[in-house]
Amino acid sequence: MIRRSFFTLTKPKLNYDLAGQDHKEPKSIPIPASLILLLNEPIDSTKKSLIKKGDPVEKGKKLHLYKESCEYTISPIKGTISSIDTYLDDFGNSSTYLVIKNDQNQATETNVITYDLNDDIVSADKYLRTLPGAPPLKILASDDVKIKTIVITCGDTDLLSTTRQYVTLNFLDEIKEGAQVLKKITKVPKLCIAIPENLNIQGEFDSIQVFKTATEYPSNLPAMVLKDHLNMVLPAGKMPEDLGVAFISAEAVVSLAKAYKTKSANFEKILTIIGKQGTQYRVKATIGTSLQTIFNTFSIHVNEQDRIIIGGPMKGFATYTPYHPVQPDMDTVMIQDRDIIPELSDTPCINCGKCIRICPVNVPVNVLVRYLEADQYEEAADRYDLESCIECGLCAYVCTAKIPLFQYIRLGKHELLKLRAVH
Amino acid sequence: MNKCKLTVSHAPFWHDGDSLFQMNLNILIATLPAVIFGIIQFGAPAVGVLALSLSSAMIWELILNVISKNKITIGDLDSAVIGLLFGMMLPATSPWWLVITGTFVAVVIGKMIFGGIGANPFNPALVGMAILMLSWKTFFDFDAAYVNYEFGFTALAPLAALKAHGAAAVAGLFPVSDLMMGRQVGAIGSTFGLGLIIGGIYLILRGYIRWEITVSFIAGIIVTSLCFNLAKPDTYAGPILHLFSGYTLLGAFFLATENSSSPVNRIPMIIYGFFAAAMIILMRDIGAYADGTILAILLSNLVNPLMDKIRPKALGKGVNNA
Repeated sequence: MIRRSFFTLTKPKLNYDLAGQDHKEPKSIPIPASLILLLNEPIDSTKKSLIKKGDPVEKGKKLHLYKESCEYTISPIKGTISSIDTYLDDFGNSSTYLVIKNDQNQATETNVITYDLNDDIVSADKYLRTLPGAPPLKILASDDVKIKTIVITCGDTDLLSTTRQYVTLNFLDEIKEGAQVLKKITKVPKLCIAIPENLNIQGEFDSIQVFKTATEYPSNLPAMVLKDHLNMVLPAGKMPEDLGVAFISAEAVVSLAKAYKTKSANFEKILTIIGKQGTQYRVKATIGTSLQTIFNTFSIHVNEQDRIIIGGPMKGFATYTPYHPVQPDMDTVMIQDRDIIPELSDTPCINCGKCIRICPVNVPVNVLVRYLEADQYEEAADRYDLESCIECGLCAYVCTAKIPLFQYIRLGKHELLKLRAVH
Repeated sequence: MNKCKLTVSHAPFWHDGDSLFQMNLNILIATLPAVIFGIIQFGAPAVGVLALSLSSAMIWELILNVISKNKITIGDLDSAVIGLLFGMMLPATSPWWLVITGTFVAVVIGKMIFGGIGANPFNPALVGMAILMLSWKTFFDFDAAYVNYEFGFTALAPLAALKAHGAAAVAGLFPVSDLMMGRQVGAIGSTFGLGLIIGGIYLILRGYIRWEITVSFIAGIIVTSLCFNLAKPDTYAGPILHLFSGYTLLGAFFLATENSSSPVNRIPMIIYGFFAAAMIILMRDIGAYADGTILAILLSNLVNPLMDKIRPKALGKGVNNA
């Protein structure tokens, strides 16, 4: 944890971690006896499910819940479905998890299903959404938004994480290949690549615009890349795709290149695991592997009241079970010992102004939080810029009163959407 | 599956380690040079006043916590800071009941009834002082308060003398070195200018007070008093006397910078500091009071919410280019 320095005349600066030039292979985690897949669709008991307990699945098979479902997942192994149940996330949104028992003998390679991939976005969207790195194919294929610019992000969005930088350093050729694939299938006029300025990248990019992003957090967040490099201002409450810009991680581009080469999906996700002492481990694990399996490999002990953080210290989320599966978009897993978990408080805002000075987008957090505490979400959005927040978490990091500011803001945005849906 | 219960909470999972306790402790530390000097200068009565003021302020908060059945909040030291600053503004000879009444007004009326820490619209210590000064004016006549003391310097309260006799009469009575080194008559914690400056700079460097307020406050004192002084040098004193006498420096570093009653955006902070300082000089030069610091800062506390409306535009606000 980065502490406040003794002299703090100016606002604190947090820098992204830099991946060293390590060419060491990541530690490969063998496929465990069962995998857990998350499917972004709730179970609806009134409909007839296409998959049920006991169904055999092939490696690479596309799994739908219902006939008309547009959400799907792909089985990374040959096996049998051993359980289907509801998964609730931290905002109470429900989705479905499938447990797939591994039937295959790990020594023998089984055939993977090949897909009928054409040079268009629709066929890619049909099979490749769950590739490692989670390419935003759903957005790219959507008819509602017209994507004109694609930005490949090689910098990690959160502190401590180095996964994307590692991929960039070691798979540069695949990134270039994947970029051409992207260009071919999406036909976007503008393709950009955002590389951290201190990352040592050799070679040129053909017909791709290169941005050098700053080392200071949060310059790798989409809204900041838009502002600093594309001269676009993200309107309050809008997503980058509303402006015609899509962001894709370096790893997703590499996966796309591989998928188009082999006409099949790959399932090995690269992760940065951060142990209790801050030790970093680079891991290659099959999507669906439980985190516990990875912890066991490095003999990291998860004790009662520890915290497992998925996604990094500023923007991540904490999971309630060490059996949380590896997800396509999961770059970092961090484990925090219960003794170093910072406490929060219910003290009101004391108006010290630290959040104002650190906020990269000038949100008046000190006033905003008063409205959010009083559940005045619409007022907060109209007058105090709730929706301008880019969710970097810096305000809560510096808060002297230890108010969970970021949580108030996320809850506020969530409630605001609910309110608007009602009207 | 095991039954291991994990801590589940929300981002960010890091904190810079700062806390209210740390902040207030640092403010208490920063007052020490001026406080210790005050104790040396004015002796045991000063210790009595400061100790009573600090402890009674904390006890008032404790009593209010118990009565309102809230969590006990004296651990954040906020009342201790109010109590100590309040004590620093009193003459060393203040009677015990004056101190206790003052801290009652400061903590209970100035802070607790508004909802405790962070909710006070005015600086609580100043609310206490203002009520006392209006109610028992005679106790704040520093010349009368120290009548039994033997000082090795001009035993006249600079601002009162200035008010009574004009700048020409007091010229030469108060050299800068005397004012800086605390060789002047005044409240316990307000006479040692150098100590206050050292404490204030410490707080600025530690990031616990906002330098914009202090700098514009001092600039306001200098500019406004210089204007008066240039217009009528015989009646109105120059910036030096104003800066180093009365509560000016205490106000610049410790009173005007109180978190909850001062603005947080840069331009409002500068206006706020300058406005408070200009009001002080106006009160001293053409108002009825010898030292207007307390009322002037309270006045700018009053306009603080309005000033703080001047703020930079948030990213993407009012943009509809999607």
